[in-house]
Amino acid sequence: MSLGKLLERLIQLIPVLLGVSLIVFVMLALTPGDPVQIMVGEQAITPEQEAELRRDLGLDRPMVERFFLFIANAVQFDFGQSFYHGRPVADVIAERLPATIELSLVALIVALATAIPLGVLAAIRKNSIFDRLATVGSLLGVSLPGFWFGILLIMLFAVHLQILPVSGRIGYASEVPTVTGFLLIDTLLAGDFAAFGEALRYLILPAITLGLPMTAILMRVTRASMLEVMRQDYITFAEAKGLSHRRVIFRHALKNALIPTVSVAAIETGSLLGGNMIVETVFGWPGLGRLVVESIFLRNYPLVQAAVLLYAITYVLLNFVADILYTVLNPRVKL
Amino acid sequence: MKALPRLLMATALVAAPALVPVAASAADLIVGFTLDADTLDPANHRKRETETIIRNMYDGLVTRDANMVVVPEIAESITQVSPTEYDFKIRSGIKFHDGSTMTAEDVKFTLDRITVDGAMGGQTSPRKGLMGPVASVDVTAPDTVRITLSEPWPILPAMLPNQQIVFKAFVEKVGDEGLATQVNGTGPFKLAEWRKGDAVILERFDDYYGGATDIPPVGPACVDRVIFKIIPESASRVAALLAGEVHIINELPAFSIKQVEANDGTQVMTVNGTRSFFIAMNMEGEYFDDVKVRQAAAMAIDKQLIIDKILGGNAAPIDGILSPDAFGSSELPKVGYDPEQAKALLAEAGFPDGIDVTMDTEGAFKDTAEAIASMLTNAGIRTTVTVGEGAQLSDKWRTKGAPKSGDMFFTSWGNGSLDPFDIFTPTHRTNDRGNSAGYANAALDALLDAAAVELDVDKRRGMYREAEMMINADQPYVYLWVPKDIYGVSKRVTGWQPSADSRINLHDACLN
Repeated sequence: MSLGKLLERLIQLIPVLLGVSLIVFVMLALTPGDPVQIMVGEQAITPEQEAELRRDLGLDRPMVERFFLFIANAVQFDFGQSFYHGRPVADVIAERLPATIELSLVALIVALATAIPLGVLAAIRKNSIFDRLATVGSLLGVSLPGFWFGILLIMLFAVHLQILPVSGRIGYASEVPTVTGFLLIDTLLAGDFAAFGEALRYLILPAITLGLPMTAILMRVTRASMLEVMRQDYITFAEAKGLSHRRVIFRHALKNALIPTVSVAAIETGSLLGGNMIVETVFGWPGLGRLVVESIFLRNYPLVQAAVLLYAITYVLLNFVADILYTVLNPRVKL
Repeated sequence: MKALPRLLMATALVAAPALVPVAASAADLIVGFTLDADTLDPANHRKRETETIIRNMYDGLVTRDANMVVVPEIAESITQVSPTEYDFKIRSGIKFHDGSTMTAEDVKFTLDRITVDGAMGGQTSPRKGLMGPVASVDVTAPDTVRITLSEPWPILPAMLPNQQIVFKAFVEKVGDEGLATQVNGTGPFKLAEWRKGDAVILERFDDYYGGATDIPPVGPACVDRVIFKIIPESASRVAALLAGEVHIINELPAFSIKQVEANDGTQVMTVNGTRSFFIAMNMEGEYFDDVKVRQAAAMAIDKQLIIDKILGGNAAPIDGILSPDAFGSSELPKVGYDPEQAKALLAEAGFPDGIDVTMDTEGAFKDTAEAIASMLTNAGIRTTVTVGEGAQLSDKWRTKGAPKSGDMFFTSWGNGSLDPFDIFTPTHRTNDRGNSAGYANAALDALLDAAAVELDVDKRRGMYREAEMMINADQPYVYLWVPKDIYGVSKRVTGWQPSADSRINLHDACLN
């Protein structure tokens, strides 16, 4: 991976982001629902006050002008004021982003740590009871709606067994100074291991709920790919050389079998960020997904625009990471 | 790759020692609450939830007790000097959280910040509309503030609890943006930490002046800390209460009442709400311009059955727009449930074979709307429920003065002050902002306008009675019910009761 390639990828981001901005802008503008009317709700307001409010929010300008203004400000990382928070959109998003990233990464780790061993086992014991159970399990994993599965976990582990918390990120006895916003890191930086354990405990149920569909998908991809690889000549050759079964599987087969798993995992991580909304709502997780959905309902244009841009950048970068991992795992492929 | 199973094991091992029962610190009273505050600036929001949180840190000139009676808080007394002038005598010795003494200048600064255009860094406060025709605020003596109105507005005292007093010097120091996240109020609790989207953590303010003398006990708050923990999902909020993680939850769904009652250590508390539910019938449309069709719709609906079966008995039926607890409310002629009579009325109106209509509603009310639709259908008003999104429905049904499309709209209107002014006028005055039915009645308009500025309490009550009789006869809406607000509460909580304005005032709450 040369520096040139990296630059090329970054330059490719520009048209993507412009396109995404335009689409989001037009979609928001065309969706019925007037931000001013929503904001005022049932309260009394005179036409003069309404006009003033529209001006304060910048909604009195023509749509085209608003779009170019947004772009001109966005390149300077100014995304405007949130209609509701009385503060810059960038601040509001920055406060919520670490919680979402932390949950997504832990969910990713949970998913990889369960999906790969299960997928390999299912492949090498093809058609066994274990394989069938794993297949049915993965089907369930993809099909179970997050809001339902999350509530089930809460009822079992938090209400009946009372061993895990219902919602939130950390208890209120812990006071951890915010450095990175990632509680698992901030607690360690503060040397507060009790708080670290607590933060981890709050992560377990939401991470499992969020990671479950991904686990199911990755397991099936790993299994299929492993079966494919095991049929290759070089595996037969390795076994004919007299290598141990274990060595053939882990040294020769798995490395190649993981290529599609890694690609899918990278792409799915993007959808983890999007899929957070439901899990964040069920577990009262103070992340970005919930904020964005609330903002869509309130037609909080500046916040939605900035958040969607952020999602787009994340997707593009994750694709990029997938490509890099691909070349690492398969040196024959060059970017 | 052997590393992966090891990693899994390691994760499990790290987590294992932490698996001990969840317990909050003994003196923390935790409220499982639906929505986080948008901002902590008392003058820069329009949400009840935001006000509920802010109100525990900031006090107002006046407040309401749990029965919605307006009583002095920061003010010691209120005198109406003339129809348009009110004097508020300010209590002495009230301290802000940083120890500074509050003065009449702070009261004037606060009210100016709300009522003067552009007073918040060029912006006008979104709460200005709640202050009606306030023309000026003046400090007339070191301990007295005079509010002058441009025209008589009898409900000023009822609307004033919505505004909280800020510290002039502090606002000038931190700016309007700073006030969105920092608090220096006069309320019973100080801001300890705002974990945005997660929790607002408050600490007792030990130098608190004690609050309204009419709402005992007077003095500092009972608990050391209160925490508003944000749990938007109802099922999770109920679970948190059952698990003992929180002590009070708002918006307990009616279907969870039994579960909370059956659980040791938790109970259900209710209070009459202030939001009236009704169905708007489009009087500009092809069917509902005829009063007989509107009466038929009203007769086709068995309100009591829905209240009993879907709302768990937690609502009061209404026959006009006003809640039974509102000022000016009175006993009205009832439209009984009579589907046969409804069919006869439809036939009289020229629709012997019935009519086909749609009813718009938001997703949250789909179940109730479906039940109503099946009742209407039984009486020949074949109704299809269409679920829309709040903003889109608001565009369709509540754009002031715009022509109406659609047949029926199952909706509601809030009346936090329990004064008819902010529910009757918007929903029934010609072309007003909440007149979804497209109702136009010049006589009613004149009556509502006169009642809004009438200072004689008895006369005003009589005027609203007359207005209720008019709409009861015209039936622009099917008036349905006022639901109770339902809370789940731990039995460890004492001294707290729910309030009809859905504020959660924690000054008097204790935790055993």
